[in-house]
Amino acid sequence: MFERTIRSRAFWPLCGILILLFFLPLFAPRFYVYIFALIYVTSLAAMSLNMVVGFGGLFQFHHGVFYGVGAYATALLLAKTSAPALVAFVAGPITAALTGLIIGWFCVRLTRLYFAMLQISLGSLIWAIVFRWYSFTGGDDGIHGIRMPSFLSSPQSAYYFILVVLTVSLVLMYTILKSPFGNTLQAIRDNPQRCEAVGINVRRHQLLAIVIATFFAGIAGVLFVVLERSVFADLLFWVLSLEIFIMCLLGGWFTFLGPVLGTAIIVSLRTFVGKFTEYWTLILGILLILVIFFLPEGVMGYLQRLGGPRPKGSAVRKEEIDASGGVGL
Amino acid sequence: MTLGVAEVASQFLVGISRSMILFVVCAGLSFILGVLRVPNIAHGSLYMIGAFATFSITKFFPGTTGFWVALVVAPLFVALISLIAERVLFCHLYQREHLMLLLFTFAVSLILGDLVKIVWGAEYRSVSAPPLLKGSVSILGASFPRYNLFLILMGPIVGVALWLFTTKTKIGKISRAAAVDREMVGVLGINVSWVFAFAFVIGCFLAGVGGALVAPTVSITLGMDHTLIIEAFLIVTIGGLGNMWGALVGSLIFGVTHSLGVLFWPQFAIVFPYMAVVIVLLVRPKGLLKSVW
Amino acid sequence: MLRVESVFKAFDDFMAVNGASLDVKKGEIVAVIGPNGAGKTTLFNLITGILKPDRGRIVFKDEEITYLPPYEICRKGITRSFQIVNIFPRLTVFGNVQVAVLSHQRKSSTLFRPAESLAVEETKAILEVVGLLDKEKEIAGSLSHGDQKVLEIAIALGNEPELLILDEPTAGMSPEETFGAMELIKKLAKMRGLTILFCEHDMDIVFSIAQRIMVMRHGETIIQGTPEEVRNNKEVQEAYLGEEHA
Repeated sequence: MFERTIRSRAFWPLCGILILLFFLPLFAPRFYVYIFALIYVTSLAAMSLNMVVGFGGLFQFHHGVFYGVGAYATALLLAKTSAPALVAFVAGPITAALTGLIIGWFCVRLTRLYFAMLQISLGSLIWAIVFRWYSFTGGDDGIHGIRMPSFLSSPQSAYYFILVVLTVSLVLMYTILKSPFGNTLQAIRDNPQRCEAVGINVRRHQLLAIVIATFFAGIAGVLFVVLERSVFADLLFWVLSLEIFIMCLLGGWFTFLGPVLGTAIIVSLRTFVGKFTEYWTLILGILLILVIFFLPEGVMGYLQRLGGPRPKGSAVRKEEIDASGGVGL
Repeated sequence: MTLGVAEVASQFLVGISRSMILFVVCAGLSFILGVLRVPNIAHGSLYMIGAFATFSITKFFPGTTGFWVALVVAPLFVALISLIAERVLFCHLYQREHLMLLLFTFAVSLILGDLVKIVWGAEYRSVSAPPLLKGSVSILGASFPRYNLFLILMGPIVGVALWLFTTKTKIGKISRAAAVDREMVGVLGINVSWVFAFAFVIGCFLAGVGGALVAPTVSITLGMDHTLIIEAFLIVTIGGLGNMWGALVGSLIFGVTHSLGVLFWPQFAIVFPYMAVVIVLLVRPKGLLKSVW
Repeated sequence: MLRVESVFKAFDDFMAVNGASLDVKKGEIVAVIGPNGAGKTTLFNLITGILKPDRGRIVFKDEEITYLPPYEICRKGITRSFQIVNIFPRLTVFGNVQVAVLSHQRKSSTLFRPAESLAVEETKAILEVVGLLDKEKEIAGSLSHGDQKVLEIAIALGNEPELLILDEPTAGMSPEETFGAMELIKKLAKMRGLTILFCEHDMDIVFSIAQRIMVMRHGETIIQGTPEEVRNNKEVQEAYLGEEHA
């Protein structure tokens, strides 16, 4: 089924990297294991965002809401009830997808900017409620010390769990983006009017894309809880949504794995810079300006351009993506 | 708790006075949005700088004159910062897509946010109102701070000044024209880039004014920028993009619902205005008043 | 098959379509002509659901389609090509047509099968008919203008329409390309028993292909009849043909 992918340039190196990552806890200090796990969690959130923004062309400016809702759903079930962990883990993405369905249903009827504003307002409303409902959600403090099932009790096991879930999720996302659904989504991104003219119900398709993307965002939220054993209202605040957006942009949002790269860069930089100064935000701002001026296609896009001659702009980029098996490396 | 009419009315007035600060800031944001078609995320940071600058200036000029000097100098300082950012970096992006402009303003807000931390530190600051405006008066049997009366006065003054500016002065009219049809303005031989610079600086100046006005009423902290900018955006959207009167309407809705929320359900006071925004946007997604485009 | 009954469409104060009527029978090739601004594209937009008329009815195969959204009208059997090239520039030629074919097969939302293996034969068949099969792997955005216009038509064929609406299919084409497009249209009409409705500025094409012609001016229908009737109609001559062929 995926012969082209397996034969592509990127497949075997990626498998190699994956195997390396599996062995990471055996030779790396705890701190690095934690950082890598954090990258996995955040990159899953960024990948889910890219599904609707990069591949769908929707202005999903408050995606963090779904990430946070998934995290809170799991956290609340684990902290406030005696529900089994598996139930809590499944509840995360389902709640996130439901929220995505409701918010998405209202938003897809609007175009671009208004789509974004309505989503931001609905998301901010959710943030405000969570932020203030101290008795239920822990408000400003969040919830800490959330219990985990025994098979996830050590940092190593948490790491493996997160890595496995991330890999499975990425494979699923890849399959979806290569399917007719994914093709149609990209066609809608490029020319919604033409799609209507060939019989595609554009709104329903976009809504379905949002539900799928928010489902994965919810999974990312669950992984966050597994990693940190806590939740914070900040997950629902607009700043995080914009940061995830920047991770997609930095990595390259027309490519499949771009967001992962962007996340890795930003999280690593943040950790590294954090050792020397507390003014990481300043550095991020400068970095963002550099990206805007010099790397508008993101790092991935830039690397691709280095990789081959370019007769025409972005049109040919797609061809290269297809030729490399769609992985975008 | 029984609520007398006096309490509600008094709180209503408090809401209106808070709305005036929001209005000043949002008028600036709306103006920039109308002319440049870009949401200026740095607006919140500039507002915050206005407040912190007011703090420093009042420390430097203690006594009666401090606040009044700050009311003039702080916005000018903010305008200067915005002018520098615009001429050095921003103006090179005008050909790019709007998303890049938006992300640029976000980057600026990140940088300014940390710069504030570097210059002023992380502690809470406070500014006291000038002697003229200290204390309260009695209105409808409840005591009402004099400073709030001042705010209720300042709001319309700024509004009228801005209105006169955009309708009566040449450069104001050009800005309005550029908001509707920038190509036409370019064809008329006017340097559109300078119009943008001008509109941007004026809008940011207003953010500084808002920061100066808010300084005596709240604790001046880091994070003011983040809370404000999301509120300002929502206000500008429910009012109608680029529409100054829309900014007024939106600010009133936001400020009053917040104040009434404080009265009726203090814990969830902040939820009321967000709820109001959601309701407005669900019913009228494009805002209550016509957008400028 | 298609009946447009006295439709009106205004944009603010401007009456783009002012009581136009049209009648197309199954298997016919009908042309709509008129000077620029006569309302031809607006009329096509009304038929295909992109715009809704203020007044009037549009009936297709005895079913009223006046207020249906565009994607439903497509599913009823009407597809169109656009005057200004409206393809998917980032997809390959194959991908462009495949989108339409998959939509027709109701497989647009299939989630877990790779797209590249679906609808391959049908897509290639269409590409072969229009003569673009050798270019199937090229990125659509890099094709010549003439080829892009042919691709427009190919996409419209993907949904196996019964009525094909072509909005100025040869606009901007060179004479050879125009001739090729003309032959293609004739071939299509014969092959699948397609009913074709098109509008054009090139009178040679109109008079050589169309079986009936509808003439528009200022949003109204002046006359609908055979080429002979239209050529001899005084009003048409002075309003349109006279200016064109003076």
